[in-house]
Amino acid sequence: MITPIKALRKNRFKTALIFISMSVSISAIFLISAISGGVVSMYSAMLKTDGDIIVTQKGIADTFFSDINRSMCDEIAKMEGVREAGALILGAAPVEPLPIVGIYGVSENRFKSYTLIQGSTPKNGEVIVGSKLYETLKHPKTIILSKQKFTVRGVFKSRIGFEDGGVVMSLEDAGALFHKSASIFLVSLDDLTKSDTVIEKINLLTPDIEAKTTDSFIDSYNQFKIIKTSSDVIGAMAFLMGILGIVSMMSMVVNDRKTEFGIMRSIGLSSWVIIKKLLAETLIIALVAFCVALGVSLGVLELIEHADKFQGYINGEITVSLALNVFIVSVVMAMLGTLLPAIYAARIDPMTLIQRGGS
Amino acid sequence: MRIQAKNIEQYYGIEYVLREVNVEIEAGSFTAIIGESGSGKTTLLSILSTLLNPTSGEVTFDGKSVGELGNIDVFRRHNIGFVFQFHYLISYLTLRENIALSALDDESVEPLMESLGIGRLAARYSDEVSGGERQRAAIARALVNRPAVVFADEPTGNLDTKNALGVYELFKRFSQGGTGFVVASHDKKIAEYADTIIEMEDGKIVKISKR
Repeated sequence: MITPIKALRKNRFKTALIFISMSVSISAIFLISAISGGVVSMYSAMLKTDGDIIVTQKGIADTFFSDINRSMCDEIAKMEGVREAGALILGAAPVEPLPIVGIYGVSENRFKSYTLIQGSTPKNGEVIVGSKLYETLKHPKTIILSKQKFTVRGVFKSRIGFEDGGVVMSLEDAGALFHKSASIFLVSLDDLTKSDTVIEKINLLTPDIEAKTTDSFIDSYNQFKIIKTSSDVIGAMAFLMGILGIVSMMSMVVNDRKTEFGIMRSIGLSSWVIIKKLLAETLIIALVAFCVALGVSLGVLELIEHADKFQGYINGEITVSLALNVFIVSVVMAMLGTLLPAIYAARIDPMTLIQRGGS
Repeated sequence: MRIQAKNIEQYYGIEYVLREVNVEIEAGSFTAIIGESGSGKTTLLSILSTLLNPTSGEVTFDGKSVGELGNIDVFRRHNIGFVFQFHYLISYLTLRENIALSALDDESVEPLMESLGIGRLAARYSDEVSGGERQRAAIARALVNRPAVVFADEPTGNLDTKNALGVYELFKRFSQGGTGFVVASHDKKIAEYADTIIEMEDGKIVKISKR
């Protein structure tokens, strides 16, 4: 342990460059995974609130495009095994000065899902706004949506960033605003094991709708797949860039330390000893870089979460499992990036030492 | 350990560096290979020490060819020591750590350093000691596993006369203790210390004399 640290201290400049390269890559992986995971988990949490089953228009790719007849919600609510069914309209519209804000039209029975910290439940022509939006808009009395003025009746607090930075209104007002009856129904059940029976009954109501358990909907939701795939691709690029950075820097390090490795070979240390030595050095850098990247990422996510510009919509979360995965990725990155230069170092011919001074 | 080189030839392209070299190094002897620059002494040393494969011919250790020695790294670590013209100590390690780098028995490091007169410098780095002390540390590194033979290439090339003679005396002392030394040098003073002197010229051995 001491010897690799001494070697790293001796080659401070290149150690610093490898460290920076790894820290940037690991931070990028952390941030993209945390932000995309945050988006997915926020939207999932929103759908899962009082929603064991979700009903959408059949075949739509995005809940924002879904349009179903809200009257069916009452029929579903009366079905055996259903505790409650509520309708939602999901939309987005500009609210001066913000270019886009999430707008949620909800049926009467869903207002209780929003924890009011100020004011009361809205009636038609009124809205309640998330606390984040309320702060961003500097405590507005009214807001204008599509040229219509709405009175701000209350302020609610939600841990879900999309809601906390959004506007909630009655289903009727939202329907008029977005010209649709309802986007989705969220159905809660008395007994989760009966979900298949209820889903079957809902699907028989009309061929235009599709009911799924919320979990299965989330698993198959295209938008989440797109976000996840994009995040994986960007994460993989950051991983590759990290490896390339390590390979190029370690190649320079090995070149600078040819004599050292030549001596090791001449005194009979095996190739594996040299490879292990270099791997140990980069692993130490990787461990420090991981800790720094974790700290930096938490700091950046905290800044983003509280930045008015993002209205709380970007709410990344670093879970223990994400941290563990990124830790493994960091170690693999260090190992892969070091392996080729280390193998080269282990093959340095001790003859080069003799040729420098011999005849 | 007896080392034999039979009909060694070494070519680089069409230029020969060694031609028809036959030599035998006796166990525990101090052998000096002397000659002018370009005479082939370093190449012969490299071949004898297994660092370089000859174009033709064979080197044997106690009758075994290099191919029969098994893992060459393990063989070198247990049986061969090297001292180079430059000390080649690793700069971020102390003298003790440099010597212990390949030591099979860590406890042998201190007594060896004491016997070479550098015991008090154990915690120093190579840039904190004199040239002679550095070369003593390099010799200690070569001797730490009690090898059968130590190969030294111009070990006094960067030392003043006093330190150079000190190095020869060390070689002489340890050779009397049973370690063989094969030293390539253009310094003729080495002849006063060596048991066998191999003189080389234009890639050939021109004279072998024993004392």
